[in-house]
Amino acid sequence: MKERPITIAKIRNGIVIDHIPAGEAFAIFQVLGLNALARETGDIIAVGVNFDSASIGRKDIIKVENLSLSLEMLNVVALIAPHATVSRIENGEVKEKNKVKIPQEVGDIVICPDRFCITNHEEVPGKFIVVHGEPVTLKCHYCETEFFGPLIRYKERRSL
Amino acid sequence: MNFQGKDIISMNDLTREEIDHILAKVDEVRSYPDKGRLCAGKVSAMMFFEPSTRTRTSFEVAMRNLGGEVGGFYDRKITSAEKDESLWDTVKMHDGYGFDVIVIRHPLKGAARLAAEAAEIPVINAGDGPNQHPTQTLLDLYSLQKTQGKIDGLTIAMVGDLANGRTVHSMTEALLKYSDCRIIFISPRDLAMPRFLIDKCRKMGAERNITVEEGSRIADYISEVDVLYMTRIQVERLEERMAVVEKLRSIYRLEAAMLKSAKPTMKVMHPLPRVTEIAPDVDATPHAYYFEQARNGLFVRETLLALILGAVQ
Repeated sequence: MKERPITIAKIRNGIVIDHIPAGEAFAIFQVLGLNALARETGDIIAVGVNFDSASIGRKDIIKVENLSLSLEMLNVVALIAPHATVSRIENGEVKEKNKVKIPQEVGDIVICPDRFCITNHEEVPGKFIVVHGEPVTLKCHYCETEFFGPLIRYKERRSL
Repeated sequence: MNFQGKDIISMNDLTREEIDHILAKVDEVRSYPDKGRLCAGKVSAMMFFEPSTRTRTSFEVAMRNLGGEVGGFYDRKITSAEKDESLWDTVKMHDGYGFDVIVIRHPLKGAARLAAEAAEIPVINAGDGPNQHPTQTLLDLYSLQKTQGKIDGLTIAMVGDLANGRTVHSMTEALLKYSDCRIIFISPRDLAMPRFLIDKCRKMGAERNITVEEGSRIADYISEVDVLYMTRIQVERLEERMAVVEKLRSIYRLEAAMLKSAKPTMKVMHPLPRVTEIAPDVDATPHAYYFEQARNGLFVRETLLALILGAVQ
């Protein structure tokens, strides 16, 4: 393979989400509400797509300045990128590096694909049970529909 | 086991032990010496956002038989929902009026679960669109138990429109909580039991010695089954194909003459309303059970109300 020595600039403080399957960075961007974050804070967010990876071939990577994520949000990342690692950077050094863990339940981050579900007709925050890890299969808490793959559509988080 | 204050939303929430407990209570409540006072002073809110005959009537009669009263509405058009009031708000409001239990039917899936979250008082799901109708499944299970003396080990054939029938899906899932059953799905290919449910039966059934098979003719199985569970071919879902409906109706029609080789104890069940799938001449045979089955719905609903309102344990 031809060498492609492109890297993303280092950040001094914040988080790095690495080992995201290629092409999924923008889904994570949506779920974490990074658009809103960028708008509201002016902090730097760097997204790398299709970087070489020894373990998964191609990968995406996201670096967010000055951000710290709750454990819950980190675990939500696991739905999209089950093998992602999240590093906390302080003063340019890796302070902590964690593998994400698929949660047992997730909140209002997904749209129920069943059009007859009450959550698609009234303002009800969604709630989903994770019934399988791989492939990630969710079950709507309200209508009990199970779904996976492309039927999992993430909501964009519009504020922090 | 204490059901006082509990919601009944989905069969998936109930364990086999809980189901057995409810079924075992039915005969007790049915012939309770002072039945007419069991729920005296209690009021049930009937929130029917879509029409229903059997479920609504039997819940109403059940509450009255227990000495309770009913209020509420039976038509979305007369409620504020017609003015776009949310389900959450409608339930909250009823919750504050001093009712003791809510019985809800709604065309959307998950509505009953949402209602249960909005309400402090217990909620019984009387059908949330194509999703769950737990009191129907409980009355079906009670009918199996009542007619065959058991549920474990039965051979049950479900016939007709297995693709769209909520009752047969729910019954199939409920049977997976039992053991040693043989389940036979008899339907035209277009209206077959959904693949995911058959897969689920094969996967979960293996541990409990439950087998499933698919057939296409009632006659092939009539001598082997303990229960023949008939369903209606739902015209509303096949509207543009009336010719197909007519043909299917003639193939999946049960007539008295077909019952000659049936076991003497075999019972024919049907969630009703029936259209043409059971010929009227079946009614006079000892196999016909569908009207008693519907009547069992009354006893099962009485029992649930009595359990939830804490009148029996």
